Amino acid sequence: MRLLIDAQQEAVAALGRPGDWLDGAERVAVWREVRAAATDELDRRRVEALSPYAVEGAHPARPPLGAIEVEVVHRIATDPGRLTRSWARAAIDELGEERYTELVGLTAIAKVLDTFAAALGQPPPALPEPVGGAPARVRPEGVGDTGAWVAQSLNKTLANVSRTLSLVPVTNATWRTLVDSHYSRGRQFFELVWDRALSRPQVELLAARTTVLQQCFY
Amino acid sequence: MQGLTVDIDAVLDRQHVGDCGIEGSAELLTFADAVLGGTASGVEPAAARAALRARLGEEALWEAAATVAAFCGLVRVADGTGIPLDDGVLAVSAEVRERTGIDGFAGAANSSTTDAVDVSLTDVAALFR
Repeated sequence: MRLLIDAQQEAVAALGRPGDWLDGAERVAVWREVRAAATDELDRRRVEALSPYAVEGAHPARPPLGAIEVEVVHRIATDPGRLTRSWARAAIDELGEERYTELVGLTAIAKVLDTFAAALGQPPPALPEPVGGAPARVRPEGVGDTGAWVAQSLNKTLANVSRTLSLVPVTNATWRTLVDSHYSRGRQFFELVWDRALSRPQVELLAARTTVLQQCFY
Repeated sequence: MQGLTVDIDAVLDRQHVGDCGIEGSAELLTFADAVLGGTASGVEPAAARAALRARLGEEALWEAAATVAAFCGLVRVADGTGIPLDDGVLAVSAEVRERTGIDGFAGAANSSTTDAVDVSLTDVAALFR
């Protein structure tokens, strides 16, 4: 349990610090939008619609986030299974693929933290105070087209899911630590028998159900 | 996991809440449903937590919460970045994807089945290194 708590506390702090292309205030605003999406009327109508693209309406800008950033966060937070390449392409054309990818990563991290608390019946973590300073603004070397919507590491020894956020290394570091502590646990991932509170089959059972409920093909 | 028989259809069928061949599966599946769907899932989250705690213990409840939370994030990075299935997985999962309707998910468009590499996997974990 200590492993989980430590990783979560570090992730909360990291979301308040300057990241790859977003500053601290913007990153905290992303988390705030992830929570707002849970009760947003437009998001609810889109989720209930046969196609989210048939629903009229648009999210307004909520400074420091622009309208397209709010749109990206809300869609990924509420309806990730029905995102399309054309939708992502339109967002990436406006934001740039680095900024888009950071929004994806921050939304995912926020969902992990809030879902964990909700799953245990606990209140969600308090949003961190934004830390001043500029984002790193570094596009890493060794990234390129791997068939995904955004550039990723060209290191083929990594599975596609392990490369998703490689374009934004600051955010990716927090993400990888969170996934490692909550699921894969380093080298233990390669063992089919786990000496943990849940067995490997029990963990994979939960994983399968969780992904199906969210219509994730991958 | 050798020797364990799991009802895959039951795992993937969201209407299924019973046992599927894994210890505590009914409580685990109900817990996941409650976390993702809240009371709209037809299960009171507090009741789902209590049932899982009673069956597998407090530490297992925490680990279950961590697993569900992690995969709430994983589906978003996977779908948000539009990654295709890894070649080996695409080939070996074809039958179960077709049978369970997963090929109908929107994200299937990110993986071209014509590009599937037909390989026999002896070490599935190797795909995720």
